[in-house]
Amino acid sequence: MNPRPYLLVLLFLALAAGLSIAVGSVFIPPADLWRVLTGRPPEQVAQATVIILTLRLPRTLLIALTGAALGGSGAAYQGVFRNPLADPYLIGVASGAGLGAVAAMSLRWPYSPLGLLAVPAAAFLGALLTVFLVYFLARVGKVVPTTNLILAGVAVSAFASALTSFLMLRSTGELHRAVAWLLGGSTIAGWKPALIILPYLTIGLGLLVLSGHALNLLQFGDEQAAQMGLPVTRAKTVILLAASLTTAAAVAFSGVIGFIGLILPHVMRLWFGPDYRRLLPLAALGGAGALLVADVLARLILRPQELPVGLVTAVAGAPFFLWVLRRAKNQGYW
Amino acid sequence: MFRKSFFALLILSLLLTACGAASTPAPAEAQPTPTEAQATETPAAAPLTFTDGLGRPVSLAAPAQRVVSLAPSNTEILFAVGAGAQVVGRDMFSDYPAEALAIQDIGGSMGEYNLEAIVALQPDLVLAGGINPPELVAALEELGLTVYFLPNPLTLEEMYLNLETVAALTGHEAEAAALSDSLRARVASVDEKIASVTERPTVYYELDATDPSRPYTAGAGTFVDLLISRAGGVNVAGEIETPWVQLDIETLLVYDPDLILLGDAAWGESAETVAARPGWEALSAVQNGAIYPFDDNLVSRPGPRLVDGLEALARLLHPALFP
Repeated sequence: MNPRPYLLVLLFLALAAGLSIAVGSVFIPPADLWRVLTGRPPEQVAQATVIILTLRLPRTLLIALTGAALGGSGAAYQGVFRNPLADPYLIGVASGAGLGAVAAMSLRWPYSPLGLLAVPAAAFLGALLTVFLVYFLARVGKVVPTTNLILAGVAVSAFASALTSFLMLRSTGELHRAVAWLLGGSTIAGWKPALIILPYLTIGLGLLVLSGHALNLLQFGDEQAAQMGLPVTRAKTVILLAASLTTAAAVAFSGVIGFIGLILPHVMRLWFGPDYRRLLPLAALGGAGALLVADVLARLILRPQELPVGLVTAVAGAPFFLWVLRRAKNQGYW
Repeated sequence: MFRKSFFALLILSLLLTACGAASTPAPAEAQPTPTEAQATETPAAAPLTFTDGLGRPVSLAAPAQRVVSLAPSNTEILFAVGAGAQVVGRDMFSDYPAEALAIQDIGGSMGEYNLEAIVALQPDLVLAGGINPPELVAALEELGLTVYFLPNPLTLEEMYLNLETVAALTGHEAEAAALSDSLRARVASVDEKIASVTERPTVYYELDATDPSRPYTAGAGTFVDLLISRAGGVNVAGEIETPWVQLDIETLLVYDPDLILLGDAAWGESAETVAARPGWEALSAVQNGAIYPFDDNLVSRPGPRLVDGLEALARLLHPALFP
């Protein structure tokens, strides 16, 4: 196994993480930053410790996990559907999460740890239930045709989005909050969110990374893959479940962030080849790095205001992707 | 196979969600917070304890001296009770009184506040408002800050209570008592004059008419509705039990209000733009020229200026009584 791609992507991730910790609306001198990170906080600036340990580090971790989830599950969806336009939201995760979140917001939860988790928990469950619904609707006997999945996904998504809009119109008091959530990103401080989604991401991404070989076989088409000894329906189900679980967990706290799950797998495929055993971990690591960079830009562009990170991923991601695509246009990698 | 994994995953998800909720530590227990540091510095001061609008206990060692306001209404209340000099940060929409503009802006567009800047200001109190979601309160708490959530009042009496609460948090009880007395007296004087009116004009209060065939107005439960009634008028949408109502122009033609008040005048609407809207020329108010711009901040920010709003409405509705 050639370690070079991993080293390159890990280096990018490390740089992005460093940048994400160093850049913020409050300037903290590098020396102080280092002292806080090494556990010897400078006496004179008490807030530097809070800013770094309670705001920046947890945010960096959460953003990196979200980016990894989107990159990894994006690659998996593209592999299962054998479709370059597939992204993690293709079969309803985003609209299901949106419906769950807005439904939870329209109920007034008492202020308590449980009430605070109601929105992310509802988003998570809404996303998973939508994917399961789509899966059951698309199933014909024992097989799940890809076209059926996509069509059922589009229909269920449209239905869920319409319900979300209806709820937003009815519960006007919470409109502000719902719009902010749907644009990606809510106010987060502390380690709780990152620690809560970590187990789901570990399970989901772990399963995906182990599915590299199955995804490689699926690229030959279902029949050929079956002839080569792959239990096709089971493999697809496991991969879809794992990818949806991963995406749902990412969406729960961060809202819907577009584009990372679509382009990161392509960029990694263009640079390092289409072998899914390598592509999946690379797309996850690259997704983490890319979302960190986008988040740093989101904090810098309108400083001291912050842009929704989903806006930056689209505005910066699209031209970057086109540039990569133009350079690689002759490789015909699909 | 799939059914089994479906239920296994669902149960696992529910379990993990529940564990996440159960193992949530009490916020801010480990970090030494600025508040605690102060509490040890001034052990003599009797701590002030409150229960805020979210039912959270809030305690201060002494009246707050460095306050960050997260809502325009909160900023207006702080200045009105005489605590303006103690405000060290304000949200980006706080533009009244003019002195507030000189205070550091800590964001607030799309509900996104600049948490780093808030921490760096080292406030001893963050005054959140009804527009702030509980997640924001929790995030600020996690940062070791003392947060008081001031709920939106539903009546003028509740608004006076909010004045007194903010005054108690900042050590200005005497000013607040005088302020609410004078506000009560002004409201009583309006009430007294309005008591004699026999004709109550109908009012359409416009919030937004980006789509002139389906404009937004305020329904029951809003201060717009409450103050129009108190000022001797009838809100045409007052029967509708939704705070923000999207009316159909056909319905508005049936209501045919006596007056049109443009709460969206700041966004460029005027008697001319209203008259130019297709279908609106049939309204009596348009034909009679009874269209008036109105400062929406007087009725949309639940602070002491609501009384200014009441007086302005009373003057528009009953000009003869308020020379």
